[in-house]
Amino acid sequence: MSPARFDTIVAVGGLVLASACTVAYLAGWGLGEESISSRAGLLAGSALLSAALLSLVLCRMNRNAQLAKRFLDTICEASDANHQVAARDALAALDAGSSWRPLLKRIERTLADRQSRLTDSETTRAAIEVRCRRALADQQRMSDIISSIPEPILVVDGYDDILLSNRSANELLGLDGMQAGRRALDQIERCQRLIALVGELRRYPSHMIRTESIELEDLRGTRRWYNVSVSALAAPRADDPTGVDPSGGVVVVFRDTTALRKVQKQHAEFVSSASHEMKAPLSGIKAYVELLADATDDATREEFVNVINGQAERLHRLVENLLNIARVEAGVVKVSKHAQPLNDILAEAVRVVQPSAELKQIAIAYEPSPLYLGVLVDRDLMLQAAINLLSNSIKYTRPSGKVTVSSRLVGDNVQFDVEDTGVGLSEEDCVKIFDKFYRVAKDKEMAPGTGLGLPLAKYLVEDVHGGRLSVTSKLGVGSRFTITLPMVARGSTLVAAAAHV
Amino acid sequence: MSKRVLLCDDEPYITAAARFKLSQAGYDVECACDGQAGWEAIQRQRPDVLVTDCQMPQMDGLQLIARVRSVAELANLPIFLLTGKGMELPHAELKLRWGLRAVLDKPFSPKELVRHIDEALADQSAAAATP
Repeated sequence: MSPARFDTIVAVGGLVLASACTVAYLAGWGLGEESISSRAGLLAGSALLSAALLSLVLCRMNRNAQLAKRFLDTICEASDANHQVAARDALAALDAGSSWRPLLKRIERTLADRQSRLTDSETTRAAIEVRCRRALADQQRMSDIISSIPEPILVVDGYDDILLSNRSANELLGLDGMQAGRRALDQIERCQRLIALVGELRRYPSHMIRTESIELEDLRGTRRWYNVSVSALAAPRADDPTGVDPSGGVVVVFRDTTALRKVQKQHAEFVSSASHEMKAPLSGIKAYVELLADATDDATREEFVNVINGQAERLHRLVENLLNIARVEAGVVKVSKHAQPLNDILAEAVRVVQPSAELKQIAIAYEPSPLYLGVLVDRDLMLQAAINLLSNSIKYTRPSGKVTVSSRLVGDNVQFDVEDTGVGLSEEDCVKIFDKFYRVAKDKEMAPGTGLGLPLAKYLVEDVHGGRLSVTSKLGVGSRFTITLPMVARGSTLVAAAAHV
Repeated sequence: MSKRVLLCDDEPYITAAARFKLSQAGYDVECACDGQAGWEAIQRQRPDVLVTDCQMPQMDGLQLIARVRSVAELANLPIFLLTGKGMELPHAELKLRWGLRAVLDKPFSPKELVRHIDEALADQSAAAATP
């Protein structure tokens, strides 16, 4: 039985009971002529009972009304998420069958519906926010990527407004100095050619990319070469989605080709220098072959043959040097080290360069150490290094100068010097002469060279033999090249040789 | 009196070979190992012909030629330029600019050089003979 019906029955029961008592009292039925007091007691008892029953019903109704009120209060005050909890609690507390119940149930349903719609929209909002954040992060990342690319990059739209430019582009083209607001292509004063290039790309849309080498001054005022490529921004064409709209924007990329140009120039100069160097002995050979054909006596003929032989030898050495440097570059140098006395190698080197020294009237003083000075080296390669140092000294020493070759023991190392009374080197050149192809500017006039002799010697001493090649020099006084190699004991000759077998 | 030829080249073998051949042909030959020495030799004893290499220490061949041509009395001195530079030098332009007799590529033939010098001197004396 529902509580509401129970209430009604209790209330109606109370009333019927009170009415029955009243009728009984008035009619005097069943009681006869009993005392007035017992009639009054019966009346009062039944009235009391009826009042108690009625007040019970009223109490229950009041409690339900208060619960409903509290529920509505909670709804007014509570946050969205608590509505359903409040409704559920109130419904649980309300007696079933109360007249508030259907109304509250409806309110609860409506609230639940609202709540679920709210949750849906909340989810959608969160999703949108996530996408927004992701898009922002993507954009920031793109912009960071473009900014960190060292090559200057510039994006221009169809109206010549600069849409995007990275740090390098700002620096190179002076975009930072531009007024805030509209940054336009035609405001770039430092590179007029760029404006023309963009124009050409738009005029001849069949060429989707145009490239040109442009010389520009960088921040430090150094002139540098850039390979500038201007390509159409890949925006699909309105009439033909497969085509690209050339009237749209363009992307401009600057590639610094200064270093490449320098290498190319060095290479060209090297080839020119090498072939010039080769022509000298070749000219000698050719001239003397001609003279030889006309020579009448044996003595002259022998002299000519000797010259031809010497020049052929010189040509051979040069080719050997070129080949060695090429091998070094390719990293295919065959090394076979044996323990041997350094002085033997030095004596041989002196013997090889003696003729060219005599030609220039340069005296070579050979001052070997009286000690054994064992070194573990590849004889041919170390000889090459020594010859290169000697030839270099002879080259840059004026006639009647002196070149001294000496060796000594320093601690656990063997050292030998090639000292000359030549033109000397500046401090800066002392470092640079070991760079491949580097030639001291003023020395270019003094003697032809390939700029390979010293770098090769350094490679042979340091990389191949773990030694050290250094130079000290004073301009106008002379230079001293020093090679230091670790010493090996005489006895280790056998060990080293055995190890190699 | 035999004609004087000045040879300027930093390659001793080149000058030696040319000197041998030219001496055989009856020339009086002097050699200089660079442009500076060449210029000093020209001032010391005026040669009838100058043969110079292009790339030399101190003063190179072109600098020497420029200096020679800046002197009025040497305006007609026949000059031969030897060069190992090949295409790097514009031969025709140099010939025209400095009034060179010929630009000879290295390696060159000493015999050829003697023939060139003979011709140059013959032309010069022919020009001198015509009033």
